[in-house]
Amino acid sequence: MNTVARWIQHEVEDGASVLYLNGVWRLSNLTAISDALRSLGLCICERFVLDGSRLQELDTAAGFTLYRHLAGIGCTESMVSVRGFDSRHERLLALVHQRMTCPPAAARSMHLGAVRRIGASAINVWRLLKSHNAFIGSVALDLLALFRQPRLFRFKETVSQFETICLDAVPIAGLVTFLIGVVIAYLLGLQALRYGANIFVVDGVGLAVCRELSPILVAVIVAGRSGAAFTAQIGTMKVQEEIDAISTLGLSPLQVLVIPRLVAIMIALPLLVFVGDVMGILGGMTVAAWQLDISTMTFIDRLHSVLPMSAFNVGLMKAPVFAAFIAMIGCRMGMLVARDARSVGINTTSTVVQSVVWVIILDALFAVVFERLDI
Amino acid sequence: MDTSAVPAQVRDGDAVLEVDSISTRFGQSVVHDDVSFRVRRGEVVALIGGSGTGKSVLLKEIIGLKRPTAGRIRLLDTYVWDASREDMNILRRRFGMLFQDGALFSSLTVAENIAVPFHEHTDLPAELIAPLVGFKLALVGLPPETGSKMPAELSGGMRKRVALARALALEPEILFLDEPTSGLDPIGARAFDSMVRVLSDSLGLTVFIVTHDLDTLHSIIDRVIVLSGGKIIADGPVDTVMKMENPWIREYFAARASA
Repeated sequence: MNTVARWIQHEVEDGASVLYLNGVWRLSNLTAISDALRSLGLCICERFVLDGSRLQELDTAAGFTLYRHLAGIGCTESMVSVRGFDSRHERLLALVHQRMTCPPAAARSMHLGAVRRIGASAINVWRLLKSHNAFIGSVALDLLALFRQPRLFRFKETVSQFETICLDAVPIAGLVTFLIGVVIAYLLGLQALRYGANIFVVDGVGLAVCRELSPILVAVIVAGRSGAAFTAQIGTMKVQEEIDAISTLGLSPLQVLVIPRLVAIMIALPLLVFVGDVMGILGGMTVAAWQLDISTMTFIDRLHSVLPMSAFNVGLMKAPVFAAFIAMIGCRMGMLVARDARSVGINTTSTVVQSVVWVIILDALFAVVFERLDI
Repeated sequence: MDTSAVPAQVRDGDAVLEVDSISTRFGQSVVHDDVSFRVRRGEVVALIGGSGTGKSVLLKEIIGLKRPTAGRIRLLDTYVWDASREDMNILRRRFGMLFQDGALFSSLTVAENIAVPFHEHTDLPAELIAPLVGFKLALVGLPPETGSKMPAELSGGMRKRVALARALALEPEILFLDEPTSGLDPIGARAFDSMVRVLSDSLGLTVFIVTHDLDTLHSIIDRVIVLSGGKIIADGPVDTVMKMENPWIREYFAARASA
């Protein structure tokens, strides 16, 4: 009872229940106050009087909790009166009382069930694909307009995009492909050593790196670096209404923002793939020299005779197609950003996922097509 | 500087905010040059000044986001830039700040936004927090169903009200408002003003407003501080400041008279 009396005392005077509020009624003591109110075991009666003469401090949270408790046991407005409060606390209680008539809200973020989520995302993917399609169409139209009026082409912007997409990515693309070359040569070498077929490691490394690994890895790196950057840049511009400003100035956002990026990335990716080819083979060469007793000269000589030019060409040919998809997805997702910071993040993630998935789907398609064409 | 308007009987202990000879420089450019003023408990004070005179910078220095080049700031008996981490954290629970665009967390619902201070700074159980959040919404005049909305779905005025509810969550003693009525229509702006005044009167809140809104000055402000050219050029009740013979002040208040 003692802990309760620290906060509130209940006495009956002239048939009315008088509640003497005690001490510091502040947010920091709210749990104790709430417990004290509950353990008081008040039941509904004719008249409640709140006495504030022993009260030191009062804030809205504590006042609200008191009134809410009284309302919870069925008190109506006419049954509660106040006395002995200092004027500031009385005003505060009056404000609390006046505003608390609205029922409290406890709404949280909505969570859908599993089936509804699957359905909703299927519909979203379908809508997204449809809108991508329309976007490709309008970019194509703007490209056509550029052919008619080449001076509208933004050369400077394209070059600056090229710099960030290509030149800045050379170290990371080179490092990753070099390491992959090392790994492939090492694993192939372990097997080849058993049969004394060391020299065939050169065939394997050359073909794997040029035809598959370098294009795919470089495309994934560029999707993560530049595709994500496209979405974040364009999305932030969208949030700040810069895209609307571009349209209002009579310019086409597609020509100003999308086409320079598209052109830059389509030139950059094949070049990066070439860097990747060279670095991957260098990686293989390093392992071959250390692990497999294949000298650098032997390696190059062998590579020259076994690596078909077509493998190298196939790798380079795939790159611009990957690039176009990454650019279109990145820019499109940027344009789709809603007016808040959260959707920039969501769309950027989505760009990377979509780009990587598309790169792999396209690669599979290429594999089948080239197989049929005997390349 | 006109100090005659400040009542002489003000005791030192009443000051909840003391800005003491603050200077701020960004490289060569001087933003504040020896700025001093104080705000007493329960006052509603406005800071005005032209664009680029460093009003928002001053506000950031007061609430501990940006360090001034020289000078001291005492907020609720704590020296903001000399306090330890723990003292600053205690201080942060005692004031509320309303940022210009609300600065609501866009990934949380309105109700979750308001609940953040409760979850982070109190050990209240969830069943006590939920009704409190509803009450804070009602306190700023928003219907309970707003709670389940995302900030992106709200209008500018509603965002500011939600942000005010969040700023009021921990029962602050002093409330800082950065251009609270900018971007609101006149009706919404006046409604916001009167709500601030009601809250400050009923809760005994000290309110410090950075504003450009002349109507706000005329309707709810006890005292106005004018910042110009890096210095305080006036400090007093709106009526007194309006009549002062200073070209900038005259032009500022004339802008409305002619409108």
